[in-house]
Amino acid sequence: MRLLVAVLVLASLVTAVDADEREPDATIWPAALRVRGRLAEEFAYRLHDPGDVSKLKTLGWLEGKYAFSEAVNLRAAVRGWYDAVFKATDRYPANVERDQEASLSLREAILSVSHGDLDVRVGRQQIVWGEAISTFVTDVVNPKDFREFVLPDFTELRIPIWALDATWRLARNVTLETVWTPDTMHNRLPKRGAEFQFAGPDFRFRNPVVRLPDDEDEFSLARSEGGFRLSALREGWDVSLIYYDQADKNPVFFQRRVPQPPRPDVIVLEPRHPRLHVVGATLTKSLEPVVVRSEVALSVGKRYETSDPLDGDGVVRRDTLDYLVGVDFPLAGDVDAALQLSQKILTGDATNLARPGVAGRVTTSLALRLTTGFFNNTLNPTVLFVVGVEQADFRVSPRLEWVLSGSVTMAVGADIFEGRRRTLYGQFDRNDRVTFTTTWRF
Amino acid sequence: MCRPAVALALVLACVTPALADEAMAIVRDADRFRRPADSFVWKITITSQEAKKAPSVDAFEVFVKGGGRSLVKFVAPPRNVGRSLLALGRDLWIYLPDAGKPVRIPFSQRLVGQVANGDVARADYTGDYDARLVGEEAVEGVACHVLDLKAKTKDVTYAAVKYWVAKDDRRPVKAEFFAATGTLLKTGTFDEFKEAVPGHPLATRLTLVDGIRKDRRSVLDYGEVVVRDIPEKYFDKSSMKSLD
Repeated sequence: MRLLVAVLVLASLVTAVDADEREPDATIWPAALRVRGRLAEEFAYRLHDPGDVSKLKTLGWLEGKYAFSEAVNLRAAVRGWYDAVFKATDRYPANVERDQEASLSLREAILSVSHGDLDVRVGRQQIVWGEAISTFVTDVVNPKDFREFVLPDFTELRIPIWALDATWRLARNVTLETVWTPDTMHNRLPKRGAEFQFAGPDFRFRNPVVRLPDDEDEFSLARSEGGFRLSALREGWDVSLIYYDQADKNPVFFQRRVPQPPRPDVIVLEPRHPRLHVVGATLTKSLEPVVVRSEVALSVGKRYETSDPLDGDGVVRRDTLDYLVGVDFPLAGDVDAALQLSQKILTGDATNLARPGVAGRVTTSLALRLTTGFFNNTLNPTVLFVVGVEQADFRVSPRLEWVLSGSVTMAVGADIFEGRRRTLYGQFDRNDRVTFTTTWRF
Repeated sequence: MCRPAVALALVLACVTPALADEAMAIVRDADRFRRPADSFVWKITITSQEAKKAPSVDAFEVFVKGGGRSLVKFVAPPRNVGRSLLALGRDLWIYLPDAGKPVRIPFSQRLVGQVANGDVARADYTGDYDARLVGEEAVEGVACHVLDLKAKTKDVTYAAVKYWVAKDDRRPVKAEFFAATGTLLKTGTFDEFKEAVPGHPLATRLTLVDGIRKDRRSVLDYGEVVVRDIPEKYFDKSSMKSLD
């Protein structure tokens, strides 16, 4: 059904474009068609007992773009992988193997149409808002795939959705972007027993517990999501305001007691996705050679699980403000540095909140990324250090990329986590790993 | 006694702006050798060399439009394809396919080899610098004006440029690029002047040599030029992904 809707919308848009915007030269198909892709072999070895291979993934991307004219183009991309670690070891349960062993997915299927100051993109896509790297403060449109925590590239983390994305250039350097999607997919979380399984909410029930599955239909016109971004550039200040109406992409476990006399009541945990209204803003400014960036988002309607036994449904509302301030600057010796401070601030008391990674009313994180290049940028070391300030949990990810040729790169790296069990990074304290990746692009 | 001093001051007051105007006119004329039209597409190949290392070659397609706007698409090698730079006046973004969004960066950041982002994305010395004519000098037998260019704001690639412009046709010949500390960052020489566009001679080669390590150099070869009107969407950062 969704395919049919998409095809109909695409067809109507193509016919709406003025014929005079078509360029005959571009319709000579070999010149108008572009195909490219990449093939990667990703290896990871878990350092802690039991030290063992944790990833043996072969990953392929193939994407194509066909330009009907300068105003109309169609692009599609597919991604497939096979992770041989599930056959090479018996460390992971069958449900994880089913979930993560192999995948073939349509990552992009977009028809782009331009007409005057209007650009429309319809189809399966990633819509990325925000100015900072390695964070999701205002990157709210697409759900994320956290089956490998936040370690993959962000284009791999974002789950593409079927959406309509229109941009109007209202004036020079002033644009209004509107987004609508009936594809209400949620974040994809690792299954129980997976390498990067998240610590769940800290429930301590004496009664029997039944956890219902999170099986809400992922495609719904009634629960469709949408919003807008208004952006302006003036005197070097790049500012945007955003609003997005969506369901919380993470499940919130509501509780209810079901009497089972004469036995004790059963606690039923029902995952729901409460509606959120996200209001935010972004800002960047270049003060050569320094770049300053900031993002802020207020999630109105955000809810958290609570361990307060007096709370009826086990969930409390805490509207949440997320913000970050970052600065990119060069250091001596051709080293580029990016320093970023981010905070999550809950409106109200956080005493009994049961969600891991929420340190209290205020959760602060500090990130530093250093990058440089040697030998004409053929040897490129990078290190990312992120620390949770309140609980002193942290992640260090050094990486060394070697550019073998214009098409082939190799990289060795590590992901080291430290901290207490129920902190964002500390929950993976036993998952430290070294990685080796070879990528061929064509 | 004071009459000659007043006269001298008056003469200086009249002559100094005139010299500054003349200097800016020279820079403006020299800019024309690096800009074939108001709206055009230019293919650039950059060969970066370093002693005892195999040269690396990067290719770009540059879309330029009035108002200091340009979009630089990375077209080779394959590992860089999909990236692009967008310059809107003195503001610059890079689109990285791995990040999936445009990211603000400074003009002075290195693009490849000895080439800064601003060397490719912005070539408007008239708009970016105040010029002062400081003398005359021959460069490899070519009689040149020598100009000191000082950045109008901090948002440009270089804090200062020493610029040699041929006296006969005002083509750019040589430039030394300096950091705010006064450190020589690199030296550039312009050559291979051709009529890439009929009736409009252009410098089709710029060689940049590191200010300290002279064995490090990058050669920018400007290839095919197509003069045409470029749609506005090319200069909108929200379109960078779809233009990839």
